[in-house]
Amino acid sequence: MLKAKSSSKLATLLFVLFFAVALPAGHWLGIVSVNTISLWGRYFCFAIAALGIDLVWGYTGIMSMCQAFFFCLGGYCMGMHLLLKATALQGQELPAFMVWNNITELPFFWQPFNGFVPALLLSLLVPAVVAFVIGYFVFKSRIKGVYMAIITQALALAMYLLFLRNETKLGGTNGLTNFKTLLGLDLYAPGVKVGLYFVAFGMLCLAYVACRKIVGSKFGKILQAIRDSEPRVGYTAYRVLHYKLAVFVAAAVLAGVAGMLYVPQTGIITPGRMDVKASVEMLMWVALGGRGRLKGAIIGALLVNCLYSFCTSLFPEGWLFILGLLYVLTVLYFDKGFLGLLELLFKAKRLKIAESIKQKAKSHQGGYKYSRQ
Amino acid sequence: MLLEVNDLAVAFGGVQALDLEYFSLEDKELRVVIGPNGAGKSTFMDILCGKTQPDRGTVRFREHSITGLTEVQIAELGIGRKFQQPSVFPGLTVFDNMVLAARMKKDVFSSLFFKMTGEFKDKVHAMAERVGLENVLQQPAGALSHGQKQWLEIAIVVLQDPQLLLIDEPAAGMSDRETEKTGELLLGLAEQHGVIVIEHDMHFVKQIANRLVSVLVNGKLLMEGSFEEVRNDQRVIDCYLGRANAQLEKV
Amino acid sequence: MQKTESVKPKAESVKLKAESVKQKAIRADINTRVNSFLLLAFSVTLLAFSVKTAAQDSTALYIQQVLHPQEAEMRTQALARLAALQPPAAFPFLAAVSSSSLYLLDGRAVTTGSRSAGQDDRFPIYEVYPGQRQLKDEKGRPLLLPLSALQPVTASRPQRLQLAPLAAVLDMFSADAQKRAMAYSQQGAKGAAHADALRLALQTETDPLALRAGREAMYAVRLQRATDAAAARLLIDSLYQHNGDNATGILRNWAKKPGVPQEAAAYALQQAQRLDSHYAWMQRIQNLFSGVSLGSILILVSLGLAIVYGLAGIINMAHGEFLMIGAYTTYCMELLFTNVLQVQDANWFFIAALPASFVTAGLAGLLLERLVIRHLYARPLESLLATWGISLILIQAARTLFGDLTAVKLPGMLAGGWQVTPHLVLPWNRLFIILLTIVVVIALYGLLFRSRLGMQIRAVTQNRNMAACLGINTKRVDAVTFFIGSGLAGLAGCAMTLIGNVVPDMGQTYIVDSFLVVVTGGVGKLMGTIAAGLGIGIFSKVLEAFFQAVYGKVLILLGIMIFMQFRPRGLFPDKGRIAEN
Repeated sequence: MLKAKSSSKLATLLFVLFFAVALPAGHWLGIVSVNTISLWGRYFCFAIAALGIDLVWGYTGIMSMCQAFFFCLGGYCMGMHLLLKATALQGQELPAFMVWNNITELPFFWQPFNGFVPALLLSLLVPAVVAFVIGYFVFKSRIKGVYMAIITQALALAMYLLFLRNETKLGGTNGLTNFKTLLGLDLYAPGVKVGLYFVAFGMLCLAYVACRKIVGSKFGKILQAIRDSEPRVGYTAYRVLHYKLAVFVAAAVLAGVAGMLYVPQTGIITPGRMDVKASVEMLMWVALGGRGRLKGAIIGALLVNCLYSFCTSLFPEGWLFILGLLYVLTVLYFDKGFLGLLELLFKAKRLKIAESIKQKAKSHQGGYKYSRQ
Repeated sequence: MLLEVNDLAVAFGGVQALDLEYFSLEDKELRVVIGPNGAGKSTFMDILCGKTQPDRGTVRFREHSITGLTEVQIAELGIGRKFQQPSVFPGLTVFDNMVLAARMKKDVFSSLFFKMTGEFKDKVHAMAERVGLENVLQQPAGALSHGQKQWLEIAIVVLQDPQLLLIDEPAAGMSDRETEKTGELLLGLAEQHGVIVIEHDMHFVKQIANRLVSVLVNGKLLMEGSFEEVRNDQRVIDCYLGRANAQLEKV
Repeated sequence: MQKTESVKPKAESVKLKAESVKQKAIRADINTRVNSFLLLAFSVTLLAFSVKTAAQDSTALYIQQVLHPQEAEMRTQALARLAALQPPAAFPFLAAVSSSSLYLLDGRAVTTGSRSAGQDDRFPIYEVYPGQRQLKDEKGRPLLLPLSALQPVTASRPQRLQLAPLAAVLDMFSADAQKRAMAYSQQGAKGAAHADALRLALQTETDPLALRAGREAMYAVRLQRATDAAAARLLIDSLYQHNGDNATGILRNWAKKPGVPQEAAAYALQQAQRLDSHYAWMQRIQNLFSGVSLGSILILVSLGLAIVYGLAGIINMAHGEFLMIGAYTTYCMELLFTNVLQVQDANWFFIAALPASFVTAGLAGLLLERLVIRHLYARPLESLLATWGISLILIQAARTLFGDLTAVKLPGMLAGGWQVTPHLVLPWNRLFIILLTIVVVIALYGLLFRSRLGMQIRAVTQNRNMAACLGINTKRVDAVTFFIGSGLAGLAGCAMTLIGNVVPDMGQTYIVDSFLVVVTGGVGKLMGTIAAGLGIGIFSKVLEAFFQAVYGKVLILLGIMIFMQFRPRGLFPDKGRIAEN
């Protein structure tokens, strides 16, 4: 056990060293292009969102299929700010898409995004409030499991359709783009890009540590208890609704942070980022990396996105086949994801024992019947 | 009076599962409820702990009406339930199971910033010793045997420190030795708490029935009396024999 | 019928009038001709001839010049003459010229009508001079020819523009019935700019829809000219009873006109009001019908989903792709019938496609069950991800095989619709889908509640282990159920080809809605699925009538979420202890 722990610590250290030192150093030495750096910066954003999904799905067992929507809420908040700044820089009063849509003055909900700090706060607050409202109604009526998945999926679809419309005054299908500066810094300057990379990586580390704390606390234990045996948690006098709401909102905020960091790096946010597919794919990152483990979520998000960039540049037609196959194989054979697979390779023997215990746990987990005629 | 039930009824899809005119429990009383399968025993407990809402009737617990309350509110008032199928947190260790159960502030923020104290640890260890789980404290609860899970669940319920414990078939899946130990545990609990036990095993009932035994048949209270009275009552024997469930005969 | 006869005598006078107009035009023609030096040399002899004989012959001459001009200028001249002369017999010809659909067929001037459904590249042919006449083949059936069999006669744009002032009249003589109907309606609305031409056109009108529009226009024209209140009232009643498309507009505009008797105007407004409320009802029925038809498709898709989920606890995200497979099977059947079996009749392929799509999608479902889903029983959330992956693979496979967009042609027997009243047309294809759903639902009920297999399916649904203990081969039951469930989706896909295109991701459009239907209905409940499917279908369409489609969808979703607050287990939840598991 001790050995496993120290090797895992070593791996974490190597991971941090590689991304915090080696990759930027490679860039300054001219080996790694600034685009690659920026690409990784975006992957870190996905990894932050994946951490939230792992909290909600991996630890609490709530399959939320609208995380991409929260991601986009954060993204749109930041995008609105960036667009307003870019518009002001060009000496215009309204963003170009509004002019095309015959909007004569800035809609009221755009007003707060003029300032950077309000925009920053709103990109956390908006996903939080939306998640709170959705979560309150869903959890209060004790919608869970499959019902939860389907309802949130339908919600994501409805919101996606809503954002596609021009009437929502958020750019419609084209989304928000043509950003110029952030806090007066040129978004296209290599230095700023590397800076954003560091911000994203720092945020990822911070999010990981925070999630680690949450998961390790009694709160985290209760989340797992809810996943395994929700009724018992209620009979033990914990208000399940509050706990579920708390973790759902936390995950939404993480997704919002991720979206907020993502937008300045890509320079565009469209409704396409929040369609049904996007949310399922986010779940897949977590499943692929190893559900119920924070590192798994990060590794999954990075791995799938690397693979995506790799495959789409080599054989774009085949990517969906590969992704589909990954879904099936992961669910069928690598229930514990990539991390589980690693352990299987390195510690086959040790795992066997643990497996048998887990199996036992599972077989008991299945049949909760509190009463029998 | 710890618990008072009046005219309690619930039906599932046309079947009258429970139709109880009156039931009451004194403080620190241990009551055993017996009855053939389908008599409505578990349904009765389900209503008491808020899992099922009754069609009509009132339940008063310590002068609070608890009909219409959620299971959390009822648990907060001080009713703990052990289910027929042991319901523990299989993914957590036995120790964590007990920590979660113990009486304390249970809102989100308290849980988030909960700090383990030595005193608290001792409390958990003491309980683990009482139910014989002190050697498996770091094992996941899902890996326990059926009997150990029963005890863990009893420990969970007791750690909540409720005034009323609802114990549904505690001896199922236990050896004779274990059953006896469970009986002793329950008798010990009854010194501080009100306890209602549902049981089929008549040896066990004999062991723990120190005051009254209630017999439920077809959702109605057939009779109440001491273990001897109940055992010798012809109606009780008939309804057990009539169902070819002659457990009473064995005693 | 009575009404048309009353039109006739007037038409005679129109003809006479037209003749005299022509005489004048010819005189003018002679004058202008002098200006055209080039033409003069050629047509002096013909000119003498044409002046002497009837105007008909000069028209024929110009038509010949349009058809076979020695040089482009000559065609321009001839068209100018015809535009000035306005010989009624040449109207169809000129209509063909102005719409660039004039052709030569064995030396005769012809044009093409609108092609009927199911006849892809062949058009009915009309001879255009003198008057309009549909050509028949040797068996007396309407002659159908592809465009390649015709020799186009193309007038240049400036040449056609010469006819522009006549467009309103010429459209009434088009070979396209729809165009004629529109032209009539315009006449009615504008108030008789070309009343005579309208009368003339109506004399030969055969198309029922065009005739309706034409008669309405006729009434409108007469109403405009009505002098006393009594006559106006009579015409208002005629308009009201005729119940045409523009009746309310005509009545309202007329009532606004200055000089209209006040009482008659009030009457017109009152009748317009009555018509409006009548239309509103028709519109409501139409919406309801669209809702039922959307609901039927949802039911077809959701039924399979519901029984599979109930039986195996599988959230099959690839269910929509079985719909897609069914649609592509239909497409393949069409290719097979038209290209390999050389069956030209567009009905047969569809009849064959119904069972074929059921079986193909069913087999695909069976394969999927064997390969993947078997390992995921009672793990709904995992199955959701795995089947999502399968759906990605299937969609991409379909895209690779068939490309981005294909369409299946509508079988002839399902073209058009059932005209219940003039303002309520129920399309046959949608009626067919509703009928298909009813048949499927009855068959499924029969299977589930009247057959041994159905009993086994229900047994496994309720308690898999117990059913297995009783000697039911649960694996076989699973396989059969999956076959049926997927097959139903395939059938839905086949039906979908009647109302939309066939695209690789067509299943995705319906999958979320279908899941909502299953959830709202109560999992595994057929009755709930049917009720929820109909409910969601109808609500969607009704809301769409008030809001835009997107907002309708958002509202539906909010409605469902509110509904779930009160009935978290759907419309028809299990009661009692079964529900707890």
